[in-house]
Amino acid sequence: MTSTLKTSLALGAVAVLAACNGPRRIREVPILMNGDRTASQDRMIANAAADGYADNAMLTHARDSVYAKAVATCRGTICASVVKGEISLGMTPAQAMAATRTAPMAWTLRESGAATVMVPRTLGQSPRDATGEVVMVQFDDERVNAYSYRETQGIRVVSAAADTTMEGRATAMADALIREGDQFNAAGDRAKALDRYDRALALKRADAMLEYKVATMLDLQLRPVEAQIRYQRFLQSLEIERIQARGQASAQLADAIARAQQRLIVLERQTVVPAAAPSSVPPAPRTVTPPDSVPTSHE
Amino acid sequence: MTLHTLSALRRATLLGLAAVSLAACNNKRVSRVDPASVTDLSGRWNDVDSKLVANAMIDQSFSGPWTAQYASAHGGTTPTVIIGSFRNRTLEHVPIGTFVKDLERAYVNSGRVRLVASRDERTEVRDERDDQQTNASAETRARIGKENGANYMLQGDVQAIEDAEGREKVVFYQVDAFLVDLESNQKVWIGQHKIKKYIDRRRVGW
Repeated sequence: MTSTLKTSLALGAVAVLAACNGPRRIREVPILMNGDRTASQDRMIANAAADGYADNAMLTHARDSVYAKAVATCRGTICASVVKGEISLGMTPAQAMAATRTAPMAWTLRESGAATVMVPRTLGQSPRDATGEVVMVQFDDERVNAYSYRETQGIRVVSAAADTTMEGRATAMADALIREGDQFNAAGDRAKALDRYDRALALKRADAMLEYKVATMLDLQLRPVEAQIRYQRFLQSLEIERIQARGQASAQLADAIARAQQRLIVLERQTVVPAAAPSSVPPAPRTVTPPDSVPTSHE
Repeated sequence: MTLHTLSALRRATLLGLAAVSLAACNNKRVSRVDPASVTDLSGRWNDVDSKLVANAMIDQSFSGPWTAQYASAHGGTTPTVIIGSFRNRTLEHVPIGTFVKDLERAYVNSGRVRLVASRDERTEVRDERDDQQTNASAETRARIGKENGANYMLQGDVQAIEDAEGREKVVFYQVDAFLVDLESNQKVWIGQHKIKKYIDRRRVGW
């Protein structure tokens, strides 16, 4: 009886010990042990270099072939544009590729009758010419008739000779900035709208309506002195425009002229400094009444 | 105390002193070993981890399509990379520079990626160039405004998770690296390497 009790107690003790929360031994096979060797980096680099060399040699060869073909068939200004690395109207697909220093692998061509559209093969890896990132080239009868750049203000399309000049580019950028400014104005963010109009004005100096928009924005932000100057500049530029238009009535600006003149009178009155009178009471801050409405579209 | 006992005590003292002297001897051993060998002592981040990360990053970086896509869109021109910040987000000291420099070396020596000096490195170079404008002769002067702009920036971090119970410990390291297009902020490549270490500190072992 005593021995049975002892045996039971011993077994119980063993069972309790076995049930203890002991350390959980990890039984995973090691993949790298002391004394093993890590792979050689030099071999990896040599393999990468060999692969890269082959790929680049193939691409360079394709690019050079396209360039040779483009130069062999070009004339005059087109040739100059290819050499400068600038797409221009009237180029062939090979010349457009040569101008962007690319090979056919960089593009996807879609053809529909006489029209062909060439777009970058990889999104986010658009080829570039001397002007910027090219996102689409359109051909009509194997000649470029329009092409587009991705710029900060959006896509700029070049479809006429005037668009390719510096003035054309500046005008396109200014128009994009004005559109952006109008959107901010419509959203009620006048500071950002003014910033866009100011930037547009730097690119497009002789734009009376833009001057008027800047004046209005300043007026709305209770900056009367600057607004006054801008209204005056707007009216002055209109005078020049009227002379240039040889007396043609500019009906679209009539409303703006009337408003500008009205605001100038109001602002001039409000900014006149009253005669200094000795007083112990500090003068009340001047209040400037903002104009009633703001132009939201560029006419 | 007898004379015999005294003599035995003296002997024992001498023996003890001799043993202490021997123990105090310089038993340091130094030997050169292969840098590719795996030598784990403490279980902390070491050269083997750095090499494993570098190898994985080099392999993943070259097997990704980003270099080929760039070269294809730019007529075989290789992309230019600048090294940005690589953060150690572990509690351990992890020298980031070792595997980042391995990756830099692979980029340059493979000829598939061009590398420009990082923000810290270029300050010294620009100082030297500025100095040359005043002091170097015209024909040997480095010209200004000829730096290469990078297309991509390499960034990344190292993170660790530890789990320990008694004498056992598991450490998990995750190293992430990515290349960001400097114009569009688009991530064009993401590399990742994970290391899991099991450390068992036995009291008795052979």
